[in-house]
Amino acid sequence: MTDASNSAIPTRATGDSTGMDFLTSLPRRVVTVYIPLAIFIFVLLFPFYWMTISAFKPNAEMSSNRNANPFWIVSPTLENINHLLFNTDFPAWFWNTMLISTAATFVSLFASVLAAYAIARIRFKGADQVGGIIFLAYLVPPSILFIPLASIVYELELYDTSWALILTYPTFLIPFCTWLLIGYFKAIPYELEECAVVDGASRLQILVKIVLPLAVPGLISAGIFAFTLSWNEFIYALTFISSNEEKTIPVGVLTALIEGDVYNWGALMAGALLGSLPVAIVYSFFVDYYVSSLTGAVKE
Amino acid sequence: MTDFNRRDALKVGAGAAAAAGIAGSAEAQQAAPTIRITPERGAQLRVLRWRRFVEGDERAWVANTQKFTQNTGIQVRLDNESWEDIRPKAAVAANVGRGPDIIFGWYDDPHQYPDKLVEVTDLANYLGRKYGGWYPVAQRYGINNNKWMSLPLGCAGNAMVYRIGAVREAGFEQFPRDFPGFLRLCQALKRNNKGVGFALGNAVGDGNGFAHWLVWSHGAKMVDDQGNVVINSPQTIAALEYAKQLYETFIPGTLSWGDINNNRAFLAGELALTANGISVYYSAKTSTDAAQRAIADDLNHANLPIGPAGRATEINLATQAMIFKYTRYPNAAKEYLRFMWEQEQINAWVEASIGYVTPALQAFERHPIWTSDPKVTPYRDSYKNMLWSGYSGPMGYASAASMADYIMVNMVAEAASGARTPQQAAERAAERANRYYRL
Repeated sequence: MTDASNSAIPTRATGDSTGMDFLTSLPRRVVTVYIPLAIFIFVLLFPFYWMTISAFKPNAEMSSNRNANPFWIVSPTLENINHLLFNTDFPAWFWNTMLISTAATFVSLFASVLAAYAIARIRFKGADQVGGIIFLAYLVPPSILFIPLASIVYELELYDTSWALILTYPTFLIPFCTWLLIGYFKAIPYELEECAVVDGASRLQILVKIVLPLAVPGLISAGIFAFTLSWNEFIYALTFISSNEEKTIPVGVLTALIEGDVYNWGALMAGALLGSLPVAIVYSFFVDYYVSSLTGAVKE
Repeated sequence: MTDFNRRDALKVGAGAAAAAGIAGSAEAQQAAPTIRITPERGAQLRVLRWRRFVEGDERAWVANTQKFTQNTGIQVRLDNESWEDIRPKAAVAANVGRGPDIIFGWYDDPHQYPDKLVEVTDLANYLGRKYGGWYPVAQRYGINNNKWMSLPLGCAGNAMVYRIGAVREAGFEQFPRDFPGFLRLCQALKRNNKGVGFALGNAVGDGNGFAHWLVWSHGAKMVDDQGNVVINSPQTIAALEYAKQLYETFIPGTLSWGDINNNRAFLAGELALTANGISVYYSAKTSTDAAQRAIADDLNHANLPIGPAGRATEINLATQAMIFKYTRYPNAAKEYLRFMWEQEQINAWVEASIGYVTPALQAFERHPIWTSDPKVTPYRDSYKNMLWSGYSGPMGYASAASMADYIMVNMVAEAASGARTPQQAAERAAERANRYYRL
């Protein structure tokens, strides 16, 4: 039948190619794949490139568009990195940001796993609506929430401590992670849990021993999102922290390296570069899990 | 940077006697004012101040604060935030009722939450009597409902920053003081291929500084004395027509300029004329790069020209200290401010920051820093030459919101660039301003 079909339908392909191969000819691939991909990569990576070369540019090259090539460095320098690391509190900001982001991520993941599992699996009345409401909470902008949150932070005497951020970041992380994990948990077949029930497993054992191991890609995906959002957060960090040594990278770098209307661009870009590296490293380690979670794949 | 300050200190050293005698002037001696403030036992203070504009400012402020601690035993914690981030932090502190004991805010901040602030009338009166009185606009900023609710410190002034050689080449031995002369200068600079540029983007300092000066100098204003929006007026149209002619001489890109762009362009040699604080000069003069120091040598400042209104109409970054009612140590906070405002401390601070902030007390215009380097002199008059935010109406939510919304800046930019006719731009500005003033 296949042979008959092939002989009956004339093909435009020539040589050894068959079927839809004509759609993937080189010129077509260049137009449909490589050029869009190149544009995409350029748009994504150019800011990173700009940040990197600016971090190593001397001031003389930075300030002049006439006498220096804006896209290249003639005389690279480590002065900006040196200034950032040794003349500011950057190491302390880095440590604070790492601590706060990691702690807030774990707190949020813990709460989100419990919430998402309950909504996805425990068939209580209104579970779907609760899921929707939790997601709506994510849509409330931090610029509205920060004043009431500030009141609570002051009441609990957490102002100007890392705890102020570790405990407030989950207000926007938990809704997002919960929403993401609900979808992931729903993709795990019921049958696996039913088998566990037959074997006498409790609900907690099912969650810990069956569901969570299967949901690792989803957990990693939610974790990466939570970590990145915490790492880059600005408004709460600006509002709840005052001491220079307690600041996070986004606020500390701006405060220390902008002097009125004079920006220390080299050191600012060095701060942005060093500040973005941990997130890039985290992504690179877990990119496979991350992709598989986004494509919704649960291997049965 | 250190070298510059040392040399600067030597220069002004000759005038130190004059500086020390600021308070010893006849009028101050006559009054012989005193004030007694008893700080609370065990007081500690937390002060939030804007991040330095020039390095010397912070160094001197910290040194003065340490001196206060040595004298009184009161520990003071100094925190800094980027100057544009101070206002939201102050607003949160006011609303929540907790935060730093003292915050150095901007413009009309004290008029947005006067009920949250400690009255400082006694302190302001004492300082005013001792140091030649407050400039009238300082009283506007400090007084709310007949009480001093904040203590004006000074303003970061805005002046014309120009290359001496380029202006001379354009046929001007002196920087023009009137608007027709100023326009002719800009046109001549353009003909000579020398860059002219003023910020027309949403630049908090430079954008507002340029737009307000241009509009006010023609006798136009956003609101009248009662707070009624009157921006759509013949005077505004005249100002916008002038802005159009001026804009034709600008280098490309000014419509998107923030506060930093003219600094960069000037120091890169792309500009021969702009308006800015003293930071361009400070950066060039303290640079280790010979080319930058050459720019400093060829750089000068001038006060903003006087327009048809016939008087100075600048708006400069006015800053004032606010003590919040939630503080447990209001007396210690007042004593700290008194100490920092006294001439010994103000002198050292003004000197170290080469006059980046012009004090709000009139006696300090005799400080030798203003004459030790003639290039700094125009900034001496920054406080004297300015009007207040929301002139000529009352200060408060509407004036702050109108400025935060860049209504004046956008109006000038729209008309100058031709995006709207002057009439359309003025109408749109009135419409936007009414949203705030009619609340």
